Parts: sequence; structure tokens; C-alpha cells
Amino acid sequence: MRKIIVLFKREYIAAVKTRSFIISLVLVPVLMAGSLIVTLLTENNENTDDKSFAVIDHSGLIEDYLAEQAEQRNSNDIYSETGEKVSPAYLLDFLEPDYDEPFKQKLKISDKIRGKKYHALIEIGKDILHPGDSTEEDYLRFYSEHGFMDDTRYWFSNNINNYLRELRLKELNLDPEMTSVLFAWHNIESMGLAKVDEKTGETKDAKESSELQTFLIPYVVVILMFMMTLMSAVPLLVSVMEEKSEKIAEVLLGKLTPFQFMAGKVMGGIGVGLTVAGVYIFGAIATVNFLDVGDIVPMDILVWFFIYLFFYIIMVGSAMAALGAMCNDNKDAQSLQFPAMFPVILPIFFIVPIISNPTGTLATTLAFIPPFTPTIMMIRIATPVTIPTWQPIVGLVGVILFTLFTVWAGARIFRTAILIQGQKPSLSNLVKYAFKS
Amino acid sequence: MNIIELNNITKTFGSVVAVKDLSLTVPKGSIYGFIGPNGSGKTTTIRMIMKIFYPDSGEIKIHGNHRNGIVTDNIGYLPEDRGLYKKMKVNDILMFMGELGGGSDLRTKIRYWLNKLDLATFSEKKVETLSKGMTQKLQFIATIINEPEIIILDEPFSGLDPVNAEILKDVILDLQKKGSTIIFSTHDMGMAEKMCDNIFMIYKGEKVLDGTLYEIQDRYGADTLVVQTEKGESALTGIRGISKINNYGKLQELKLEDRADPQKILAEIMKNTAIKKFEITRPSLNDIFIRIAAPDRKEVNHA
Repeated sequence: MRKIIVLFKREYIAAVKTRSFIISLVLVPVLMAGSLIVTLLTENNENTDDKSFAVIDHSGLIEDYLAEQAEQRNSNDIYSETGEKVSPAYLLDFLEPDYDEPFKQKLKISDKIRGKKYHALIEIGKDILHPGDSTEEDYLRFYSEHGFMDDTRYWFSNNINNYLRELRLKELNLDPEMTSVLFAWHNIESMGLAKVDEKTGETKDAKESSELQTFLIPYVVVILMFMMTLMSAVPLLVSVMEEKSEKIAEVLLGKLTPFQFMAGKVMGGIGVGLTVAGVYIFGAIATVNFLDVGDIVPMDILVWFFIYLFFYIIMVGSAMAALGAMCNDNKDAQSLQFPAMFPVILPIFFIVPIISNPTGTLATTLAFIPPFTPTIMMIRIATPVTIPTWQPIVGLVGVILFTLFTVWAGARIFRTAILIQGQKPSLSNLVKYAFKS
Repeated sequence: MNIIELNNITKTFGSVVAVKDLSLTVPKGSIYGFIGPNGSGKTTTIRMIMKIFYPDSGEIKIHGNHRNGIVTDNIGYLPEDRGLYKKMKVNDILMFMGELGGGSDLRTKIRYWLNKLDLATFSEKKVETLSKGMTQKLQFIATIINEPEIIILDEPFSGLDPVNAEILKDVILDLQKKGSTIIFSTHDMGMAEKMCDNIFMIYKGEKVLDGTLYEIQDRYGADTLVVQTEKGESALTGIRGISKINNYGKLQELKLEDRADPQKILAEIMKNTAIKKFEITRPSLNDIFIRIAAPDRKEVNHA
């Protein structure tokens, strides 16, 4: 154990005392905060250049209303109280539909949009007032280069639909006074559950559940786990490869058994991972407490987070060290890095479906596949949904058993491969070294 | 008393037999030289002693202990392929290696060895800033920092200039005097002849020589003449009784055929040229090495 600790100490200091580590430790939160600040700044920094829109109204009903609304908007809404222009004016160009060559007309307008003469084309179907009468002609379309991300379409959508509603009410001879009540809409409020305060024993009423709790917390937890693994376990592949290619391995093997060698390196990885996780998590807790929003962070998940992270780094670290031992040079290491990282990356693809349904079959099944358990189980634990208490425990037993297997197989591969030069890292060699050596 | 015992060890890599049925005993306190051509099995044997490789059969005892997987702290090992963490400082790396070996009072020892090998001024420098020779010396210090009982050096003199080789040789002899047992592999036959109490030669995985220099030379008898003549090698051509000539330019080493008479050969040479030196001697270790490893080597002219 003494030798493992000596090597751990070296590995830990070698990793932590570098400028790149300190920079990346500081840089990640700075970048995250920076991107948040940039988003907030750019949110209020709308491009105020006027926008021209081509409008083809096949119904002939909307034109006047839309022109009036645009004029009203341009006079009232685009300047702040101080007279500063804060929003672009909308200039509408109503075009007669070309019934002989409709596509040619659309192409012409599209070219003008590409040439930035128009911002977009709005096409209103002939039967827009009475949808259902015709399946073809009751459309409302917005043609632009970046339609999906373009918020200006909502202005047209809201105005046109409001006006159509008015027209329909008139047709039905309904009192316009009634319309506001008629169309009153209640969004269902998403609430958590009532609970008992563990400290005071008081019953606490349910609180509104937020996007933060539902999505952001599990998302942050899984990204944090991914990052920790990336910073601590994955570099072992290159580090071991370098020790092999630079002939340090044999010098160390004169003092250490291969198992001690690998264990020391993996422990160094654990040290790095826990340091980074500790700094980030306790930094985040201090920040939310400072901002007096501490109760949004579910503290009870932290214990699970650190336990799972601990075993996850050992599991991935042993595998990476073993693979590193099979590499002869940087080229080998580069070609192995992505396939080796694939099991670490894969759970990231499942974040959304698992957050959406943390107790569903997909989430539950994936949570019991040991290489994915730490990440998937943590996503499930971090959501507000209660998962059966036994599941994280059984998942952890699976992770421990699989970690023991990885360490055992990794040590066997490491022992054999670390001094073999010239053999390409291949699956057949991997299996041979693990089970036949 | 034997400190290391190899009993009938065999090691194969795939279809290649690297070491075959090798037995060897290393007496405590001796300097044991391992010689042999490249790829003959020296490093594999050393790695097996270090428990880096396990033999397929046979057993290796160190201090009578033959458990595999145990690296004993009292063995210092300098592998043929040297490697150190380039970004570490000289002091730090020695401290690290010393701690790995379970050493105590390391600061004093580091200061002592750095002074002794003229590296004291580089103690705070990173390894990557050192010259090849300095790195070699640093690696040597890392090997012996705890003054281990057994020191195994694979090609310790390669890459060193004569001055540093001399310093290293003196240190090795000092360590022997203090009680360490030293095994070193080398291609420098002169150094092996001068330093080793015992010499072991391995060729194609098998032991071909083992004993003191005198025992080995005795086996070959006094079948070698060293001559220095005015005409050099050309005066020796065509003389019967000489099986090989090893030409060193200024002097020639002649291997005699079985039952050849040195006196007759002397008379023949004198017919051709004036003789400056004529000595009947036993073959050098270098000559024995060549006879075993390259019996038909072309550079040695048949007379």
C-alpha cells in the first residue's frame, strides 16, 4: 500500500500542479458563467435594423389589419422611453398573388430574401378564416432562411390568429365583451409534493417545480460526472502509453508490481477527479447559498454522486490504464481514445429521455448495466421523481462488482502489455492478455 | 552463500524460446557479469530475476524466497531502456524513487550522491534539461539511492564517456565493498574482464559460459599468440598452424590450430619480418565471445 500511495502522490501532484490543470479548473466555471452573461447581454441586444416582409394574402382578409398593426407597432413599440431604438420596425410589402406562376413568384421572393431585401415571406391561405372547409388552403406560412429560430414569426402568428378569432366571433354574432372570458386560458401549474422537514418535523407545502429542478439539476450532475471522468480517468490512457514509450514503465516495474503500478495511477486519477468535483460542487453550493436559493440543490444526492464517481473513476481508469499499456505510441493512443471513451459518452445521449421518464423501462434497464450505472442512476436520482430505494443500492453493488472485474482484467492486460513493444492494440490481443496470459 | 538462485528456468514468447533450462547461482557480495550477443536472453533473464516476467518453468530464489509477484525493496534495477519523468526535477525524482524503495534519510542520501556524481548543481533542474550522460548518471543514482543489497545493472556503461564510465566503475566497486551484490550485463568485454568475479554468457537462450575469468580461459587453453611485427598482418599470411587472425592494426591476435607448435610459427614469422613482440597467451573474453557467437565471422582472416 505504501508504494501505491507514493505513486499516487506523484501522479496527483504531477496532474494538479500543472498550469493547464489550474487554468482548466478556473476556466470551466468562468466559461460557464461567461456564456450565461453573454446570453443575458445578447438577449437585450436585439438587432434594430428595420425588417421588410413580403406578404401574400390569398384570403384578402388580413392585409389591412396587418398593415395597421405594423404601423401601430412601428410608432409605439420600437423606441424606449428615452427615445432609443430597441427593436426593428416591420415594413410590410403586400404582393398580389401570381396565380399563373405561383412557384416562380415564390422563387423570386426567396431570392430577394437571400439577397437581404426581404427578411421573410408570409403567405396566408385562401381559406384561413374557415379551416376544415378545405384541407389545402387554410395555411399560414413563414418563409425565411432561418425560420425555426426566427422569433418574428410569432408576431405574425399572434396578430393574424387574434384577428381571425375576432372575425369568427363577428360571424357568430357574439358579444365582443364576452370574448376575453371565453378565451381565458389556465396553464396548469407544475407542483412538487408536500413533505416533512427533516430538521424541524414540520409539514411543508408543495412548491412549484421548476425547469431547474426537473432538467437542469440532473443535466448538471451528469455533465459534471462526465467532465470528472474526462479529466481524471481518460488521461490515464495517454499517460500510461507515455510511460511505456518513454521506458519509464520498466524502471517503475523494478520497484512496483504491475498491480501497484496501475493502482497508484488510478488512485491519482481518483484524487484529481474528487478534487475537481469537490471544488465545483462546494463552489456551486456556496454560490446558491449566497444567492439564497440553496433549497433548489438536493443535497441528499451528493453522497450518491461522490460514491458513484469514486467507483466510476476506478472502473474507467483501470480500463484506460490497461488500454494505454497496449499502445506503443501516440498514434495508437489516438486511435483507441474514441472507442475507449464511447461507453463514457453513450449515457449523455440518453439524458433527455431519462429525465423525461426516470422510472420508465429504458431508464431502469440502462441504470442496471454497470458501465452506464453511475451516470444513468445519477440522472434518475437527481430528478424530482422518487425512484425505488433499492435501485441505487443494487446498482452500486453491480458497479462495485464490475469495477472489481475491470481492475482484475485491467491489471492482467497491463502486466502483460506494458513491456511488449510493437504489438498493435487489438481486441484479440486485449482478450488474450486479459484471459489467457 | 548464494543470494540469487536460478533453477532450470525456461521462458518462451510465443514460439520463441528466450531462455532455456537456465540454472545460475550468484554468490553474495560478488560482481557477476552477464554477457551475450543482442537478443540472446540477457534482459529476459534479468527481468525474470526482477519478477517483471515470470518463468514458464523452473524457479528463481532471492534470499531463498521464490514467491512470484514480490518486488523486494532491496534490489536496485537499472534497465537497459532508461526512462525518467522528464518534467520532474532531479531532486523530486530521486525522492520519488527513494520513497518507492522504502528508503529513509533520503535528503542526505540524495545530496551525497548528487555531489559524488557531479550533479549537485542540477538538483533543481528538470530532467528534460539534462544531457544524455547526466540523465544516465541520474538514473544510476535512482537505482542505488537506497544502497540496496542487490544491484542489477543492464548495460550501465553504454552512452557514458570514459571519465564518467570510470566514475561509475569506482562507485560500483565501492558498493561491492560495502556488501552489495552486483549483476551487470555488458558488451564491454574489457570492463567485464576487469570488474567481474564471475562471468556468465548466454547464447540463444542457453548458458554457454559460467565461472571466473580464469576458469573460462582455462577451458580454452593457451591457444592464442599476440604478435607485433614490422610488416603487420601481411607477414602472417600463409603460415601453417594459424586458424584465425584477429587484426588490431598495430598488433595481431592469432588463434592456433589444435596441436600447432608456437615455436614453429615464431620461426615462420621471423622469416618474413622482424618481430617486436611475441606472447603466448590465453584467449581474451572478447575472443571467446566471438568464437561462441560468431565462429565463422569474416573479419577474422584465415591464415
